[in-house]
Amino acid sequence: MGSPCEVLTDGGDKQLADRVSSLVASEAWRIEDKFSRYLDGNVIHRINTAHGEPVAVDAETGNLLDFAATLFDISGGRFDITSGVLRAVWRFDGGDNIPAQADIDNILDRVGWQRVTWAGSQLTLQSGMEVDLGGIGKEYAVDRCTDLARSAANVPAMINFGGDLAVTSPPVTRDAWRVGIEGPNVDAAERLVDLRQGALATSGDARRFLIRDGVRYSHILDPRSGWPVPDAPASITVAADTCTQAGMMSTLAMLRGADAEDFLAAQELLYWCRR
Amino acid sequence: MAAGVTDMTATTKGKERSVFATLAAATCALLGTTAAAPVDAQEEPKWDFNTSLLYYGEDENRVQDVSLKSIIRRLFTDDRTLSLGLTVDTLTGATPSGAIRQDVPQSFTRPSGISSYDVPAGELPLDDTFKDTRVAITAGWQQPAGEKGLLGVGFSASKEYDYLHTGVNASYAHDFNNRNTTVSAGFAFASDSIEPVGGAPIPLTSMLDVGDISNRVGDQDKDVLDVVLGVSQVISKNLLVQANYSFSQSDGYLNNPYKVLSLVDGVTGDTLTRTPGIEGGPSGVFLFESRPDERTQHSLYTQAKYYMNGKVLDASYRYMTDDWEIDSHTLDVRYRWPMGDSSYIEPHVRYYTQTEAEFYRLSLDDSAPLPQFASSDYRLGNFDAITAGLKYGWKTRNDNDMSIRVEWYTQSGTVPAGQLIGNQASRDNYPDLNALIVQFSYRFSR
Amino acid sequence: MGVQPWEREILAREDMQLTADPLEAATDDHIYFSKEASSGGRGFGGGGCGCN
Repeated sequence: MGSPCEVLTDGGDKQLADRVSSLVASEAWRIEDKFSRYLDGNVIHRINTAHGEPVAVDAETGNLLDFAATLFDISGGRFDITSGVLRAVWRFDGGDNIPAQADIDNILDRVGWQRVTWAGSQLTLQSGMEVDLGGIGKEYAVDRCTDLARSAANVPAMINFGGDLAVTSPPVTRDAWRVGIEGPNVDAAERLVDLRQGALATSGDARRFLIRDGVRYSHILDPRSGWPVPDAPASITVAADTCTQAGMMSTLAMLRGADAEDFLAAQELLYWCRR
Repeated sequence: MAAGVTDMTATTKGKERSVFATLAAATCALLGTTAAAPVDAQEEPKWDFNTSLLYYGEDENRVQDVSLKSIIRRLFTDDRTLSLGLTVDTLTGATPSGAIRQDVPQSFTRPSGISSYDVPAGELPLDDTFKDTRVAITAGWQQPAGEKGLLGVGFSASKEYDYLHTGVNASYAHDFNNRNTTVSAGFAFASDSIEPVGGAPIPLTSMLDVGDISNRVGDQDKDVLDVVLGVSQVISKNLLVQANYSFSQSDGYLNNPYKVLSLVDGVTGDTLTRTPGIEGGPSGVFLFESRPDERTQHSLYTQAKYYMNGKVLDASYRYMTDDWEIDSHTLDVRYRWPMGDSSYIEPHVRYYTQTEAEFYRLSLDDSAPLPQFASSDYRLGNFDAITAGLKYGWKTRNDNDMSIRVEWYTQSGTVPAGQLIGNQASRDNYPDLNALIVQFSYRFSR
Repeated sequence: MGVQPWEREILAREDMQLTADPLEAATDDHIYFSKEASSGGRGFGGGGCGCN
């Protein structure tokens, strides 16, 4: 998942906490192993090395691809799981290494969900294209793990994968789970949120960005141009029923750049947008 | 940082809104679960400001009070809270002096001893000396103690021209049983000093002519210790109950230095007359009241809050008994009725009844020996009181709370059988009270 | 006796708190302390005054 993952249980004993934690850890590893683009032999690897041949996928992968397709539509093409190949020229390490336009144009030939054939449980990518479920996977994992934790035990639990989190129910020892939202100083919580039910997810560049000539380039790329989304907020946190919804809404808002706040204000959500 | 919730007024927003709806449906399909429980998240405020303006007015030229009250709280992480309160009261109007009506005009020396005032025949003697401003401050700190405890400490102080109060308090509450049961204990200790205008009069001595303060002594003190033990219990999803036992011990100067009793003839019941001095003075014999120098009170208080279909019923009952032989019962019921999404209406009824203090006297009988303690203060008498009111509250556009309440408070008392002497029986002796209460409140969090 | 944590939604409401309006409660406590012989019960207030 690329970040520290934790399970917090409230009340109950250590045995129960351990049991829930192992269930969550197993499921998280399962999803990680299945969809990581770093591992050979999994479905993502088969898709990304198919060189133009169709690949049959199972139901779970199919669901994620359907979901990605919907996101592509409702975002007007801004959310695109084939845009991962742009990482070859964009390295967000806090330095000032901006790629040349020619390099970006080269890569753009291999970006675009509209070039993909997804039908009848078969996915066909053009040669050289890749899919990356990194933008959906973590939040999806949080929700799957939360459902698991909820049905496995009656103890209230919070599943937190690096700041994308969900709770099974309100806690025992207090009225609500308390979550801090980072401020500009990454170690100090700027606001506290009382979460009784639901999920929180954050999109932001707190740790991944480039700065050149005083201009900050967020790591959120617009696949239509190959460049970072201009005027993207530094951080967006959204509260929603599920972590997937929260994560997708914060990502879609981030992709709107300057219009992020307007986009968020039009939904029935609690959000925090920091520039 | 911009933070927000919903706003669905513009037409472009309708289009944006469908993004969320589509996403919600897509998520359902992805996760394969039935709709998740709706999100319940709230940002914790750092500050909480609560302010009100109160008007309290009794009829017949009696006490009027305009009061500004403000409580500011700073909420820190980990449930620690600092709260500061300020209250400013401006009091005007007259209050019963304790003397009884007569069929003839009467005159009295003011508490300061500097001048006198007259009361027309047939009227209840009211002393209108008091135009006062009182300022009170409170400060409190609350923090968790361990996983299930909550500790609080605080102090309070108030000042008016003839009274100074200082006090400290502390409390501890502990949760049990999955937070369904909370047990709490608290105490407050107050050390007050009374500096009556003109000096405290020696009890049961006479009101003297203008310029004569020979029966006055200096400032006085009073200490009060309050202890409260309580338990609250969640009965069901909709019902919460609480019960408290309180103990209060007062020691020191408990008299009201300005109140008197009329010394009356044992047959006619009329106040003994005298000729006032040249610069003014009492037209009758009035003795300053005398109360014991200690008082012990016990109370039992129970409250229930019950939610049914959006409406909340709040009912409480308190029984009080003390060693002055006063017993009281208080029944208080409020019913909050939501109106639409963001406002409510709350009718309120309170019923109060108390029996008189053992030393309560309407007047003192000249033909009998003087008792050790006596007071005709109507607040220590036998009376029933009813409050009836209505409160209307609403959330402003910025999600802040405002409310306004209007209440009518009325007391009607009876003089205990056997205390009425002669002509007193034909008069209306007990100073019944009717007051209007109007309070406007504003609360917001940041 | 009681409820599970996930059943506390109604109890968490502001209008279901034992003292839902602390300013109104403090005001009433002071008015009735000044006009009657009983005081408190719910807890203890911010201190005395010369009004009784």
